[in-house]
Amino acid sequence: MKAVAPAAVVFVCAGLAPLVVHDAFLLDSLVLILIWGSAAAAWNVAGGYAGQISLGHSAFFGIGAYAAGLVVTRWELSPWLGLAVGALVAMAIGLVVGYLSNRLRGPYFVLATIAFSQVLLIVGSRWRGFTSGSEGIPVPFRPGFWTLGIADKRVWVWITLALAVLAYLLQLYLDRSRRGYQLVAVREDEDAALSLGVPARWLKVAAICASAALTAACGALWAQYIGFVDPFYVFSVDLSVKFALAAIIGGLGTALGPFLGAALITTVETYLRAQFGGIGTRLIGIYLIVYGCALIVMVRWVPHGLVGWIGERLRRRVTARAET
Amino acid sequence: MTVLPQLIVSTLLLGGIYALIAVGLTLIFGVMRVVNFAHGEFLMLGMYLALFAFARLHFDPYVTLVLSLPISFAVGWASYRGVMRPIVHASHNVQVFTTVGLSIALQNLALVLWTADARFLRTDYYAVVVRIGGAAFNVAQIVAFALAVALTAGLFAFMRWSYIGKVMRATAQDRDASALMGIDTDRVYAITWAVGIACVGAAGVLLAPIYPVYPTAGLQFVLIAYVAVVLGGLGDMAGALIAALAVAAVEVAGSYTIGTAWKEVLYLLLFIGILVVRPAGLFGQRGAEALGT
Repeated sequence: MKAVAPAAVVFVCAGLAPLVVHDAFLLDSLVLILIWGSAAAAWNVAGGYAGQISLGHSAFFGIGAYAAGLVVTRWELSPWLGLAVGALVAMAIGLVVGYLSNRLRGPYFVLATIAFSQVLLIVGSRWRGFTSGSEGIPVPFRPGFWTLGIADKRVWVWITLALAVLAYLLQLYLDRSRRGYQLVAVREDEDAALSLGVPARWLKVAAICASAALTAACGALWAQYIGFVDPFYVFSVDLSVKFALAAIIGGLGTALGPFLGAALITTVETYLRAQFGGIGTRLIGIYLIVYGCALIVMVRWVPHGLVGWIGERLRRRVTARAET
Repeated sequence: MTVLPQLIVSTLLLGGIYALIAVGLTLIFGVMRVVNFAHGEFLMLGMYLALFAFARLHFDPYVTLVLSLPISFAVGWASYRGVMRPIVHASHNVQVFTTVGLSIALQNLALVLWTADARFLRTDYYAVVVRIGGAAFNVAQIVAFALAVALTAGLFAFMRWSYIGKVMRATAQDRDASALMGIDTDRVYAITWAVGIACVGAAGVLLAPIYPVYPTAGLQFVLIAYVAVVLGGLGDMAGALIAALAVAAVEVAGSYTIGTAWKEVLYLLLFIGILVVRPAGLFGQRGAEALGT
């Protein structure tokens, strides 16, 4: 699926939606879909295109969230600056992580990334002097665009849409450019790619850096939008799995897939929470059971995700029409 | 140095239980080439089994231990048939996400069924402390250690001398050649998975009287088991055993010197360090991590 038209339609619709829809609940869902979609797209750059399956991406998300939260609360500076700082720090850490874990493949890489996010979870929740420890950081609301204190959810849709388009364009670049093809070659067979002179090592590191910076940007915006940074949420393995799951459901290594996946899981999550949340908080875990089962079912029966599945259907229809 | 004997004893007691968790994990990896990311959840299920058997049926946890072996074996067998069987030969990504999916589903099933509250299993002899020399320790810990060591030794004997154990080792060495020799590898995988789950389920029963029980209780122990398994060389059972003791030593020394709050950082950094410097582990074959097998 290299066509841009479906993605253009999706993003234009998302951009126009605030002009038509005024329901705060729907706009809120749209903002979350765009944030989770961008984070899933960022994960997809490393996991889908480069084949570097990480279950520690919440580390980068958390770095972004903490950067935004700390820059605002400790130094009273603009969260935009926090976003930039978070992205830069995440990129630097991505460089180190990517370099060190370069020769790890398969489950070894997964284990290393999980361990890394757990280290950050402990630092975030125990380093009381700097991060306020396990209590987390309430991000103050200061009105204004520069301070990102925006009550109007329509503006939030446009801000997060800009991020989503950026994430999409990065993936589109990988879909179309020479570097992107080289990266896919590395994913499919690293030794073969190396023998053809592809700089496999640096391509993988670059993919992780870009992915880390983008994930941190998502984290920073999310922290400002939600208004609270909880270390046990932003550094959790569950959150890393969420990014991966959205990309897998939508289609690994496809540019539009992560957004479709995020739209689907955010909708299901919101629905199940609304449906079962009232009965008692103990049923709050139900959507996570659905996540877990969806993960098992998707990787087994729909390995190319929704985009792959729809693409396959369309192709079959076209060939069937050509034959008759 | 009056604390030294106490530190050594604590290391041994912790290490024995870590070893039981780690050998199951490394056995599954060695034979099936699957890293079981749901291992901690089976530990958690074992803990709940001991808890409910004690609360509802008044079974002593050490009676439950005997019952837990066939029960966790059956649970393992069923989960192999239902979830693992189709993906034994699939790519790493599929295997990783299948076991991660299983982990999330089981963890939250426990959350929905039994809530997030930490529960405690308190036997009458919980607070009994024994003093030997300069070291003091708790009876539940000693019994757990002795039983964990006995089970681990039993597993080693099973792998070394029983026919099924030999078949499992043969499959671990070369699955194609074993299949050609008439070994039913599918059955071997089912038994391996079920034995691994039985070990970790038993470890859960042993841990229940010592640690609080809650849906994510497995995570902290299984992280330690991953460290031990990678340090010992993935798939190497003797390596895992020694490494489990080494990790316990790091943890005990860490709690003593820098405090319990930061001790996890110590072994996680050790873990990352091993993965970076020598991912094949202390005793593993060099280059295994690059093949990813």
